[in-house]
Amino acid sequence: MNETDENLMLAVRNGDVGKLGVLFDRHHRSLFDFFIRMTGRRNVADDLVQDVFFRILKYRKTFRDESWFKAWMFHIARNARVDYYRSHQGEAILEDDHADGLQSSSPLPGQELEHEQQAMLLECAMFKLSPDKREVLILSRYQDMKYEQIAELMGCEVGTVKTRVHRALKDLRDIFFQLSSEKPSCNVKKSGNSLRIM
Amino acid sequence: MQCEEVREQFADHVRRGVGEPLRSEIAAHLAACETCRAEAEELTTVWTAMGSIPAAQPGSDARARFDLMLGAYQQGLDQASARGLWAGVNSWLSGWWPRQPVLQFGIGLGLLALGVFAGFQMRPSSALSTVQRSNEIAELRGQVAAMNQVVALSLMQQQFAGDRLRGVNLSYQMQKPGQEILGALLDALMHDANVNVRLATVDALRQFGDQAVVRKGVIQAIRKQESPLVQVALIDLAVDLKERESIGILKELTQDQTLDSAVRERAQKGLSELE
Repeated sequence: MNETDENLMLAVRNGDVGKLGVLFDRHHRSLFDFFIRMTGRRNVADDLVQDVFFRILKYRKTFRDESWFKAWMFHIARNARVDYYRSHQGEAILEDDHADGLQSSSPLPGQELEHEQQAMLLECAMFKLSPDKREVLILSRYQDMKYEQIAELMGCEVGTVKTRVHRALKDLRDIFFQLSSEKPSCNVKKSGNSLRIM
Repeated sequence: MQCEEVREQFADHVRRGVGEPLRSEIAAHLAACETCRAEAEELTTVWTAMGSIPAAQPGSDARARFDLMLGAYQQGLDQASARGLWAGVNSWLSGWWPRQPVLQFGIGLGLLALGVFAGFQMRPSSALSTVQRSNEIAELRGQVAAMNQVVALSLMQQQFAGDRLRGVNLSYQMQKPGQEILGALLDALMHDANVNVRLATVDALRQFGDQAVVRKGVIQAIRKQESPLVQVALIDLAVDLKERESIGILKELTQDQTLDSAVRERAQKGLSELE
C-alpha cells in the first residue's frame, strides 16, 4: 500500500523515524534539483538536501495534522538555503557568479548543438535573475507546484504569485534574448562542483 | 478584455492553466492585439525552452549519507530515552500521587506518631535492658567507690601530711563511707600529728554527723585536742550537730584557765546555744 507523504510524516512525527527513509527516496531528487538550480553548486546542493532531512527530524513535532508535506518540506528547504548563505557570506559561492563560470563542453553536431546552446543560454539567463525571481520560476516550472501551493509556501496571495511569475518570466526572456544576441558570451563549465548542463 | 487584464493572465496562459471562458477571451484578444500576441509567444517560448534544461542527479552517496544521519539520530533518541527512564518512573509515580503538600505532610506526621506508638509498645524489652544497664552502672559505681575508699585509706596512712590530706579530701566524695573510713577519719582526728590534717578531718566528718559513732568521736576529741584551732572547730561542729552530750565537756572547758581564752569563749558561746 502506497502511503501518502502526510501519513508517513505523521508516523515520523510520532516516533517512527525510520519512515523518513521512504520520504527521502521520494523527494531527495526534487530537492536536489531545486537546490542546484538555485545555487549551481553540486556539493552545496548535496549538503543542503542532507540538512533539510536533518531539520525534518529535528522539527518533526511541528508538522501539523493538516499540513501539506511538500510545502512544509520546501519551507524548511528555503530556510536551509538562506541559513547556508548567511553562514558562508565570505565564500565565493554567489549564485550570480555562476553563469560567468560556465563554458562549453565538447562540440555537438547540427540541431542538437543548437538545442544545447539554447539550454545553456537559458540557464545562464536563469542565474542572472534575482534569487527571488529564480525561485518562483523554479517552483512553478520544475517543481510543478500550482500557484496556490506556492502562495501557501511563500505566505502570500495567489495573485501576488502570478504577478511574480509573470515578471520573472519577462526578465528571463529579456536576459535570454540579450545573451543570444551577445553570444558566445555565456559558456558552460562542466566541473565536479558546478552544475552540469545536458 | 484590455491588454492589462490579459497580461495578468500570462502566468497561467503559458502553463495552459486557464479554463473556459477566459481562455477564449484571451485568445480573441491575442488575435486582435499584436503586442500582446508577441509577448505571449515569447513568454511561451521561454517557458517551453526552460523544459529543455535537464534535471541534475544527486550524488550516488546521497542515500548512504542519509542513512548515516538517520542512524545517528536514532541512536541519540535511544540514549535519550534510556536516560529518561528514571525520570519516567518519577513521572509515573507522581501521576499516581500528585502534589498535595498538606495531605502529604499530614500523612508524614501520622506515620511518625505510629512509629512512636510502636516504640512504646516495644518498651518492656527495652526497659528490661535499661534496668540491666542501670544495675551494671550501679555495680560499677560501687566498685569505683570501694576503690576510692581503699585509696583514701591508703593515703591516710602515708607518712607525708600532704598525702594524708588528699586521703581525707577523698572522703568528701563518699556518700556512704564504710566503717573503716569513719574509723580512719576519727583516728586521724585523735592522733594525727599535723594540725591541718586534723582540721580537714573535722570538716570531713561534718557530713557524717548523723552517725552516732561520729558524734561520740567528736565529743571525745574535744577533750583530747591540744590545738586551739582544732578545739574551736570541734566545738563549732558539736554545736552545729546540736550534740547535748557535749555540754559537760564544754562546761569543763569554760573553767579550765590553762586553755586559750578564745577556746573558752567559744565553749561558753556553744553552751549558751545548746542550753
